[in-house]
Amino acid sequence: MRVGDIAVGRAGDKGPMLDLSIVAVDRAAYEVLHDILTERRVAAAFEGLADGPVVRYAIPKLNALKFVLPEAMPGGVYMSGHAGLHWQKGAISVLMDMELP
Amino acid sequence: MTVGAGAGFAGDRVDQAVKLASSGRCDAVVLECLAERTLVQGLEERRSDPDRGYDTRLRRRLAPLLPAAVEHGCAIVSNLGSANPLGAADAVVQLSRELDLGHVRTAVVTGDDILDRVDEVLWDTPLGQGELLGAHVYLGAEVIGQAVAQGADLVLTGRVADASLFVGALAPIVDSNDARAGATVVGHLLECAGQVTGGNYQPPGGNRHVSAQGLAELGYPLATVETDGSAVIWKLRGTGGRIDRLTCTLQLLYEVHDPAAYVTPDVTVDFTDISMDQVDVDRIRVSGAKAVAVPEALKVIGFLRQPGVVTDLEISYTGIGALERARLGGEVLQRRLEPVSEVLRLQTDIVGVDSVLRGASLPLLAEPPEVRLHASAVCADGETALAVEDEVYALTLSGPAGGCGIRCERRDPIEVVSGKIGRQHIDAQLHWVAAGR
Repeated sequence: MRVGDIAVGRAGDKGPMLDLSIVAVDRAAYEVLHDILTERRVAAAFEGLADGPVVRYAIPKLNALKFVLPEAMPGGVYMSGHAGLHWQKGAISVLMDMELP
Repeated sequence: MTVGAGAGFAGDRVDQAVKLASSGRCDAVVLECLAERTLVQGLEERRSDPDRGYDTRLRRRLAPLLPAAVEHGCAIVSNLGSANPLGAADAVVQLSRELDLGHVRTAVVTGDDILDRVDEVLWDTPLGQGELLGAHVYLGAEVIGQAVAQGADLVLTGRVADASLFVGALAPIVDSNDARAGATVVGHLLECAGQVTGGNYQPPGGNRHVSAQGLAELGYPLATVETDGSAVIWKLRGTGGRIDRLTCTLQLLYEVHDPAAYVTPDVTVDFTDISMDQVDVDRIRVSGAKAVAVPEALKVIGFLRQPGVVTDLEISYTGIGALERARLGGEVLQRRLEPVSEVLRLQTDIVGVDSVLRGASLPLLAEPPEVRLHASAVCADGETALAVEDEVYALTLSGPAGGCGIRCERRDPIEVVSGKIGRQHIDAQLHWVAAGR
């Protein structure tokens, strides 16, 4: 099972910041994701793509988690060396494809 | 009061706004068309022609929309003014004359352009090198609201916080901070248009219930808002997409950073106690937004043009061994360009393998039948960019076998910088466009 089987997600940005949201399908799924998707695990999943720390926000009432990577995109999206612009929208699949134990 | 979202970015579909206005169900349609990049384009255009610098799609968007909106008494609020809101108003006067619409009561909001006041800006990080192309403060809803309350048919702005376009459109029913918080949530849910109705959305577990027809006919969202700031998010009957707790919650949290403190010029909002209730098919009731504070300082965005040129290239390889040859091509480029000191940064990767997610890409399970080598180079000048581009073209004759399908795109390296400015330095103004010009 992967994160995307029990949650939906979307990536965005703000300046140098990569901003990821996931919403679990129900409370049980939220509890699972809340336990597994720690800042450390998410940072490890983004290794080789985005440097720096991960800050997590939990919104239990909405069964949702947010992950913000403040240093992921130095200079903002227009300074990136990725193919084309706005690559960061695709970064959500790193989270959605994480395998759950 | 009901508002609709007719566009969520500069290049968004044109027909949905017309559909919303023609439905007779909307008091106002908001068109959010101004991204950072779009504003830079506007600034560059304005520099070469002071009459231009407003959204280049203004006519394409408003020609079908204005007649429908006027006929149904639906106001339009938009940041189509970009770097020249007064110039945009002149273009609307011209357009409404051509369309024989009579006088469209057009209001313009100015005051976001603060390039002459950058000394008052406290930048988040010290400005490094580069030429400051422009500096804009994110204005709030106040002046838009005045225009709407005074009966504007059309309100044109430059840089305004996206959600504030909606808060301004809803001004007649917003008279407390909690109502303002609710209207801000509505604005945030609607500002990306199709993203709340099932666009850019993968349902849990896969795409079984997503169809091309549904996405091609995706309905853009409306919100019917109460005086307490609660709202129902919905879409027109017969349109594609979906509105449910997941689509709405995902959009609620999109790009908000700290959900307990979503900062806009009008109000800082706490999202953490919001409820989403499915009241009918494709109808979600949103309530519980809390106003935390009204920020003292406003956000500023600046654009620093860095020296040099970015060139972005791709070349295809096909058949057995395609990936190996593409990687070889990348290595050849690195070897050829390594001695050129004017190439400040060169990155190569493979489209179809690791060009987006780099080291975090999924492992490759099978040999792809074709791939594209991608190279992105930051160069000191245009001559160097040409040299890089020629090296990619030279791969066709002197590189690995079968290189083909080359595409090349240049762009200016523009660094987006942000900061804050005290409200007392900002003077947002309302202008009415004279009739009968």
